[in-house]
Amino acid sequence: MIAILLPLVPLVAAGLLVALGGHSRALAPLAVAALFGTLALGGWAAATEPSLDWEWSPRITTGLAVQGFSRVMVLVIPAIAAPIVLYAAATEDDGQVRLLALMVAFTGAMLLLVSAADFLMLLIAWELVGATSWALIGHGWREPENGRAAAQAFVTTRIGDLGLYVAAGMLFAATGSFGFESLGRASGWERDVMAAGVLLAAMAKSAQVPFSPWLFAAMAGPPPVSALLHSATLVAAGAYLLIRVAPDLDVVVWFAPAVATVGLVTALTGGIVATIQTHAKRMLAASTSAQYGLMFVAVGASSTAAAGAHLVTHAAFKSLLFLSAGVAIHATGTPSLGGMGLGRALPRIALLAGVGALALAAVPPLGGAWSKEEVVAAAVHASPWLGTGIFVAGFLSAFYAARFQVLVFGPIAAWSDQRGGTDAERLQYRPGRWEVVSLALLAAATVGLSLLWVPGTDRFVEDMSKGELFGSAQWELALSVATIVLALGVAWQLARRGRLGSLCLPPRLQAAVGDWLGLPAGARRLVVSPVIALSQVLARFDDRVVDAGVRAVGKLAQFVSRLFSIRVEWTFDGFVGAVGQGAVTLAGLFSTRAEQGFDGVVRSVAVTTMGAASRSRVVDEVAIDGAVEGGARAVGDAGTQSQRLQTGLAHQYYVVVVAGLSATVAVLVLFGWAAQS
Amino acid sequence: MLLTATIFIPLIAAVVFALAPRRRVTPLEDDPPEFGVAGAERDGVAEQLAVEPAPMHVEIDDRSPAYERKLQLAATAVAAVPLLLMIAIWLRFEGAGGFEQVESASWIPTLGVGYRVGVDGLSLPLAAMTAFIFVVAIAYPVDLRGRAAPYFALMLFLMGASLGLFLALDLFLFFVFWDLSLVGMYFLIGAWGHGDAQRSALKFFVYTFAGSLALLLAILGIYLATEPRTFDMAEIIRQQPLPATGLYATLVFFGFFVGFAVKTPMVPFHTWLPPAHVDAPAPASAILAGVLLKMGTYGFVRILMAMMPATFERFALPIGILAVISILYGSLVALAQTNVKRLIAYTSVNHMGYVMLGLAAAGASIAGEADAQAIALTGASVEMVAHGLITGALFLISGSLYARTHTYQMDEYGGLAGRARALTGLTVVAAFASLGLPALAGFVAEFQIFAGALAVYPWLAGIGLVGIVVTAALFLRMLQKLFLGPLPVRWTHFPDLHPIEVAALGALIVLVVIIGVIPAWLLDVVDSFAGPLVGRG
Repeated sequence: MIAILLPLVPLVAAGLLVALGGHSRALAPLAVAALFGTLALGGWAAATEPSLDWEWSPRITTGLAVQGFSRVMVLVIPAIAAPIVLYAAATEDDGQVRLLALMVAFTGAMLLLVSAADFLMLLIAWELVGATSWALIGHGWREPENGRAAAQAFVTTRIGDLGLYVAAGMLFAATGSFGFESLGRASGWERDVMAAGVLLAAMAKSAQVPFSPWLFAAMAGPPPVSALLHSATLVAAGAYLLIRVAPDLDVVVWFAPAVATVGLVTALTGGIVATIQTHAKRMLAASTSAQYGLMFVAVGASSTAAAGAHLVTHAAFKSLLFLSAGVAIHATGTPSLGGMGLGRALPRIALLAGVGALALAAVPPLGGAWSKEEVVAAAVHASPWLGTGIFVAGFLSAFYAARFQVLVFGPIAAWSDQRGGTDAERLQYRPGRWEVVSLALLAAATVGLSLLWVPGTDRFVEDMSKGELFGSAQWELALSVATIVLALGVAWQLARRGRLGSLCLPPRLQAAVGDWLGLPAGARRLVVSPVIALSQVLARFDDRVVDAGVRAVGKLAQFVSRLFSIRVEWTFDGFVGAVGQGAVTLAGLFSTRAEQGFDGVVRSVAVTTMGAASRSRVVDEVAIDGAVEGGARAVGDAGTQSQRLQTGLAHQYYVVVVAGLSATVAVLVLFGWAAQS
Repeated sequence: MLLTATIFIPLIAAVVFALAPRRRVTPLEDDPPEFGVAGAERDGVAEQLAVEPAPMHVEIDDRSPAYERKLQLAATAVAAVPLLLMIAIWLRFEGAGGFEQVESASWIPTLGVGYRVGVDGLSLPLAAMTAFIFVVAIAYPVDLRGRAAPYFALMLFLMGASLGLFLALDLFLFFVFWDLSLVGMYFLIGAWGHGDAQRSALKFFVYTFAGSLALLLAILGIYLATEPRTFDMAEIIRQQPLPATGLYATLVFFGFFVGFAVKTPMVPFHTWLPPAHVDAPAPASAILAGVLLKMGTYGFVRILMAMMPATFERFALPIGILAVISILYGSLVALAQTNVKRLIAYTSVNHMGYVMLGLAAAGASIAGEADAQAIALTGASVEMVAHGLITGALFLISGSLYARTHTYQMDEYGGLAGRARALTGLTVVAAFASLGLPALAGFVAEFQIFAGALAVYPWLAGIGLVGIVVTAALFLRMLQKLFLGPLPVRWTHFPDLHPIEVAALGALIVLVVIIGVIPAWLLDVVDSFAGPLVGRG
């Protein structure tokens, strides 16, 4: 019961929000209360591990089961969503009802996703999450760009959804069930294909290379949407799926290395892109891809526990950073990182954002550092190369975290110098009380996760995620800290010289690398444009070639009909009469040899054909009459022209009927002969 | 008697409507003026109807909106009767496998032709869906061109013919209804269409009539093989009169195949479809896509799979390949369209491809996948119902757009989300349903088709899956062009949907959601035929 309540409460609340409409002050309290209520339900579910079977069809049973890592997700999702929805209620006025209702509904869909017990329910929730994210990203629909970005996000992630279709189909083919518990029973090539499908789905949803650019496009949504979708939900679905099913797939030899490779490539490229980006939210988006890359590495290094822990800490600090970026963009009116410098104008926000930035940089004793260290430990344990890669990724993330914090909330504000006056007076907007509260809640969560450093928590983490931790060694921790210090030092040096924004790079190079290393342009050139070109070629082919064959047959019929249509009606009636007579005569001939009733068939065919013939005359009358009527209304030649056309087509029709009749008679003769022999 | 009444009530009503008085003089009783106002609003023109408080007698001619509304109300009420009967039939349905509630009468006994009607797990949902779509289509506002009575007469005639086709248990009866449905649709397109309607109507008629000739020959072919000679479907299914191989069986198979493939339509027999859809009045489009196309796929199951399973098995792979071509080709060509109604028409080709893929997988010869094959067949059958409801809604929506703007070109639209909320909301749900979003009917069908087909033809199904991405792209593009972005100045007074339109579309969408969220009631019925059919093959 509670298993179904968990997604249902937010969905019903979303419906209520729509029903209340924009006139009620209860809107924001209701939305936030629904999510806190869901959080309580989540706590209950995590403790009781409820499950639910549902007979979807006579052959397919689907269901929900809050177990394993789901127990963590059912807490994390509403806990992160509640402050974000609070923030949205305080800042977004345009289409507020729609925004809040969709955000709450989205949370419900996401809870359905993490409680799914099989691939069918997972796919249902997976695509519902995708569709609601389309509506959320395209929230500012009056801008054509936003709608296009939303479509790009949905279509890209749907490519991954095919992977789930394939995985579900393969699992069913191999085991006759869609349930996760059957994963271990699959074998043979079906298991390999299934693993590939899972990987594809996870990569697309978690914005891994080469699917990462959709996350950039998704930044078209308002900041709270970015905070909700790209921290604890949507993108989390991919990593969650891996954490849930990877242990059952480790018999597939190539699976873990493939996951780790994808993760490492994304962590490094995403780190570079985030380092170079100059758009505040896109920088965070690239960082999200990179951080999920770290989780993929952990899964590939067989530590789903480390991946799960990092998912949780990342959810807290990244949603905090997205919201602070939202405040900054709101306050300055520009998303450009270069010289926001809001530190003096908004000191409280700067402080809260700093907590998030430190966690992103993995500075101990914040929880983000603990989970990253566990990823490092797993990677080093798996392979030295993987470990090295992770240290480089760690350097990058510390650097771009520092860069973000200094540029956005540092003391130097380029724009205030230009315009004069004190910083605070120059703000276009000052965040209100509820914005600060929501940021503070997320910052508190980020700080609270420092408890992970308390000895003994690793047992708890392993138990909650049903995975293994490798425990980070002293030298690893020391090296990590050294890397972080180095990164912060570099950032500090660049900041002192005022080069932290441009990084001494030529603007064109910076723009090219910042735009996901040209990946979006490549995807356009290699995938989107060819598909559109192909579709246009096919459409022309359809009009000109496929249909041309049909038209040629029509023309031929028209030509034949002209040959013997001096007096159409006469010819036609005479012909039908003759054929009818002939058929009856033929039938008479056959009835002696063929069985009884054969005669009747022929006769009935003749009668049917006569019926068709007389119908055809009705057709002719209506068609021609219609044309005449039209002609009367139209002027001059056009009318006569169309009349001629109609007449020609009517001939054509006669010919078809006649041809059909002849064919019928011929086949009947054949059948009679066949029945004889 | 229920089934017979279901078929003949609309047919008889059609005659009554055809004879309805064209011009009459009656006392003006409580003639509700809002009918007239509704009609004027519908056209998006501020054309006020002068309902004058006349003395005792007023002349009501058949072109007055009030008279049209009255006829429409009457026709809707008549059409609702078969729907209620279908619900009663559904409630009495036992689902034990085989045909139920059979009603029969002697017709031409020497030929083995009988009047036989009945339902099973396939025909029941299709006939119920047919009745439902007809009620909605008849109630939907449409430009009647001053010929209301013949329009409703034809709609009811077509309704009777379509219901008769799905309920018929006799090949002869089946063929009669098959041809009658062509005639009804021909007139609807020709007389109430727009654009180059008569040409499109004739193309539709000639093309599908050619297909029906092939069908007729095949019916005679299978008839001549029965012993004793009969057109009784149940008897033919029991007899399995034709061998798996041999020229004769192959010829008969191809006769049926051509007849059904044209109607379905499968690529490359589909080119009659786009012009017929674009030029047809919206309710006729909805019926053409929702009901008439299903006659082809229904024939594939009812006749080819049930009566000649061994021959079907031989051709299952080629049919599957053609199905995947239809899926990809239909979706890609739809992606390139600029005309919204053509776009929807091509997605029908795509969706019928899904149905055929499911049928090919279900009819294939493969050991040990009976469960997967049953799922594929169930999915294909549900797709027939789902596509009928969803595409019916989309065509009606395109008609509402056209009635307001007189254009189908998507580039001329934009930003309607701010002007027409009801239209936007309903279209978004219908479009997402068509692209196969879960919790809506299309997903229930497509998931089962692919889950089943992946077990039988993994490669084919894998390639066909790409169609799901392309349909997502094309529908999002359609939504973007129609509803998002800035509103062109000329549509600043674009009126939102009329309450009747909202109710009609809402009814379709609600059913789509119900099937999507709780599919078991439908899947139970469908499985009662799908399980045994596949189990035997």
